[in-house]
Amino acid sequence: MTTATTGAGSTTGALAADFSALLPDTCVITDEVGLRSYECDGLTGFRQVPAVVVLPRDAEEVAACVRVCARHGVPFVARGAGTGLSGGALPVADGVVISLQKLRRILEIDVENRRAVLEPGVFNLDISGAAAPHGLYYAPDPSSQQVCTIGGNVAENSGGAHCLKYGFTTNHVLEMEVVLADGTLVTLGGPSSEQAGPDLRGLFLGSEGTLGICTKVTVRLLRKPEAVRTVLADFPSIEAAGDTVGAIVEASIVPAAVEMMDSLAMEAAEAAVGAGYTVEAPAALIIELDGPAEECDEQFAEITRLCEEHGATRIHVAGTPEERAKVWKGRKAAFAAVGRISPDYFVQDGVVPRTRLAEVLTRIAEMGSEVGLRVANVFHAGDGNLHPLVLYSEAAGEHETAEDLSSRIAELCVELGGSLSGEHGIGADKACSMTRMFTDDDLAVMQRVRAGFDPDGRCNPGKIFPTPRLCGERPGPFRPHPLEEAGVISRL
Amino acid sequence: MSTSTTAPTTTTELRDAVRDAPGPVVATGAGTAADWAAPPAPDATVISVRGLAGVVAHNPGDMTVAVGAGTPLDALQSALAEHGQRVAFDAARVRRGATVGGLFATADSGPLALAYGSLRDLVIGVTVVLADGTVARSGGHVIKNVAGYDLAKLLHGAHGTFGVMSEVVLRLHPRPPAVRTVALPCPDLAGLPAAGRAVTDTPVEPSALEWSDGRLLVRLEGTEGGVEGRATRLAGLLDGAAELPAADADAAWSSHADAVEGPDGRAVIRVGVRPTQLGEVLTSLVGEADAEDVTAAPATGVATLTVPADAEVVAAVHRRLAAAGGTSTLRSRPAGTDLPAWGPAPASAVLLRAVAASLDPDHRIGRGRMDPWLPRTGAPA
Ligand SMILES: Cc1cc2nc3c(=O)[nH]c(=O)nc-3n(C[C@H](O)[C@H](O)[C@H](O)COP(=O)(O)OP(=O)(O)OC[C@H]3O[C@@H](n4cnc5c(N)ncnc54)[C@H](O)[C@@H]3O)c2cc1C
Repeated sequence: MTTATTGAGSTTGALAADFSALLPDTCVITDEVGLRSYECDGLTGFRQVPAVVVLPRDAEEVAACVRVCARHGVPFVARGAGTGLSGGALPVADGVVISLQKLRRILEIDVENRRAVLEPGVFNLDISGAAAPHGLYYAPDPSSQQVCTIGGNVAENSGGAHCLKYGFTTNHVLEMEVVLADGTLVTLGGPSSEQAGPDLRGLFLGSEGTLGICTKVTVRLLRKPEAVRTVLADFPSIEAAGDTVGAIVEASIVPAAVEMMDSLAMEAAEAAVGAGYTVEAPAALIIELDGPAEECDEQFAEITRLCEEHGATRIHVAGTPEERAKVWKGRKAAFAAVGRISPDYFVQDGVVPRTRLAEVLTRIAEMGSEVGLRVANVFHAGDGNLHPLVLYSEAAGEHETAEDLSSRIAELCVELGGSLSGEHGIGADKACSMTRMFTDDDLAVMQRVRAGFDPDGRCNPGKIFPTPRLCGERPGPFRPHPLEEAGVISRL
Repeated sequence: MSTSTTAPTTTTELRDAVRDAPGPVVATGAGTAADWAAPPAPDATVISVRGLAGVVAHNPGDMTVAVGAGTPLDALQSALAEHGQRVAFDAARVRRGATVGGLFATADSGPLALAYGSLRDLVIGVTVVLADGTVARSGGHVIKNVAGYDLAKLLHGAHGTFGVMSEVVLRLHPRPPAVRTVALPCPDLAGLPAAGRAVTDTPVEPSALEWSDGRLLVRLEGTEGGVEGRATRLAGLLDGAAELPAADADAAWSSHADAVEGPDGRAVIRVGVRPTQLGEVLTSLVGEADAEDVTAAPATGVATLTVPADAEVVAAVHRRLAAAGGTSTLRSRPAGTDLPAWGPAPASAVLLRAVAASLDPDHRIGRGRMDPWLPRTGAPA
């Protein structure tokens, strides 16, 4: 046990003693080895060993832990499964990590009202698993759904391939129980989509653990669609694939999902799971439609026609649930599979207006060749959400070049009128880039809102917002939105 | 009601008007919800955002549009229709010229909320002016975006408190090529939840499902062949269900919208409960609070009704909903009546007060609208 001094002068020993009075020994971690397993999330480049990790078992215990932190004036960080890719669950030095992994009960599957009441540590995929016997499912489907928690999804407003049609976490949460920074419990949202007064639930969703800890969440369940149609189409170029997506939009069709992969990503995925991709094809689209059968069939015919019209070199209809699963398996494995074609890689997450996809991909390829690195692309083409994978070799000393390229790609997205992040969040990773997307005033107002929730700034500090300590005295300058520059829009 | 009125036409003018007004400020759009929620402070400076109107940027291929907050939604819909697009939103008062900012601030929604949510689900970016003249933006121009706080959510349902919106960015959806309505008799409100489930248990995926005038209206949107097949299937699956001829369907939906807006002289209240409670709660409000003009969405648990414009009756409705764990908000109230707009304050009202204190410590913007959840007086001098 160390006697490091925590933020407000409390010693770690005194802090841990207070936790031990609340929780059994197995739920308070203070040993070096135990603490190390919480030092980072899925973004392993950022590491920080916390002072204490606690594992409360219910909402009351979470609140009590937060009150201990308040009494000692120390910061705390909520943690779900730690799969986050932006360093959101990165501990704070001398702070406390409050793990929600013991709050993992599915409290209710309310079939008649089509909703599930969950503790925050429930895995995303388990919600649909529990709902399946009733013909229901939970729509938001991050690729990490087997291993990420609904509490993490709430904090990140996570999305997935099917969010094109069905929306993100924020569109599916009705009600939440939240522990505030002073340890009080409040309910945000309500039993219907109607709320009285401002949408505090919506404000909390996507706030990356900086406004409180979610201890219970009610989500909507949907009836499984009657029909699902999936096609895998190869294209002679990225442009042709992009134009096909545009044509689908113009045809007034909203597919459940439209995913694009380039040849590098397909090569990796194919090597890993043998999903039946054509490795030589420069680009492929996975397009999925779902809904009532007659509607699906009519639109599916139109989609295959549009693929042909845009020069598709192969159209593979996944006719059975097994074939569909195979096509998706390749897509979902693509991130990890990149490890087969490159010793190391960074996963980036940025958004551009869909109509600028071809442009951004060309620029990314140029930026990559300028510094001699390959970039693989797997992304949600329907909504312009890119996931460029920057391939590099740590051993060859390419780390910094690759990291810099990856950051510049995210900032390029902002330059093209998009966003720094579509689903992975800002966390510690992109806090310094926030000044590219928002003005000081924008960020100051967000901070003022935060002060209403957490006046002492103890709830996951150092995330989302740039700080001089993190970013140097002068973080990168704000650049006006391109429409602003063109004089089309203006803030003033 | 006011000391003066200003009508800025740019965000800069709006900022100056808000910052320089001497005391409380109330923003107005088309005035279609001027009498919703609690009354604003009588000495408030009225700032009309009608001059901040029109499309700022529309890129059809990206399915997004940025508009001035004072843009009437019906005008915007006509402009978008030329591109085969729409804002998938159909609150009743849109037809009276309600503005995007006003519809957003009042958290209004219509039958399409079943499939598309309310404006909180459709707005992807906002520019807002605070009491001290700070101009801030959150969100952006892309549908998928998790960078920073979503400040728009704080303004949704805030009835013009916290800040005044100058610009709003919306996500768009394609206009469906075909629309059909199937009606299903449901004379008794008590049977509403079960009747609603009978529809949602079928695979036809309605885009709206509303009870009005003793029947359930099921709206099907999609391709010509698709809606035809789905309407036929629904009529075959459910006893008494029949597709309405186009003219009858239009009349039915328009009568539904009339009921939502309510007749003059009565108080209009929007409520929300768990769908299974809807039958019981509405039945009791009809019996005990003389509720009329009931419309209800059995799949979402949201209903609108009118009651006599009597403070005790309205307070009883709020209590009934609070007891059911639901929500209630006063919409229209007849001129000159003093009715409780809000029910018992939830525990989260402490957050509203704390955020208000941080953004607008003197409670200038929309002062009074959220009384008693937010103070109806400014901070002591
Ligand atoms: C291979 C892979 C694929 C992925 N694919 C996707 C994808 O398709 N879409 C997508 O959106 N994301 C994706 N992610 C990112 C990640 O899985 C999501 O962000 C997920 O929501 C994180 O959940 P978690 O339980 O792991 O949260 P953690 O990583 O533990 O925490 C994430 C953030 O949430 C906060 N937090 C956690 N629990 C709570 C709580 N109960 N209350 C308040 N705050 C809390 C933490 O403080 C932190 O800021 C992927 C990650 C990996 C590794």
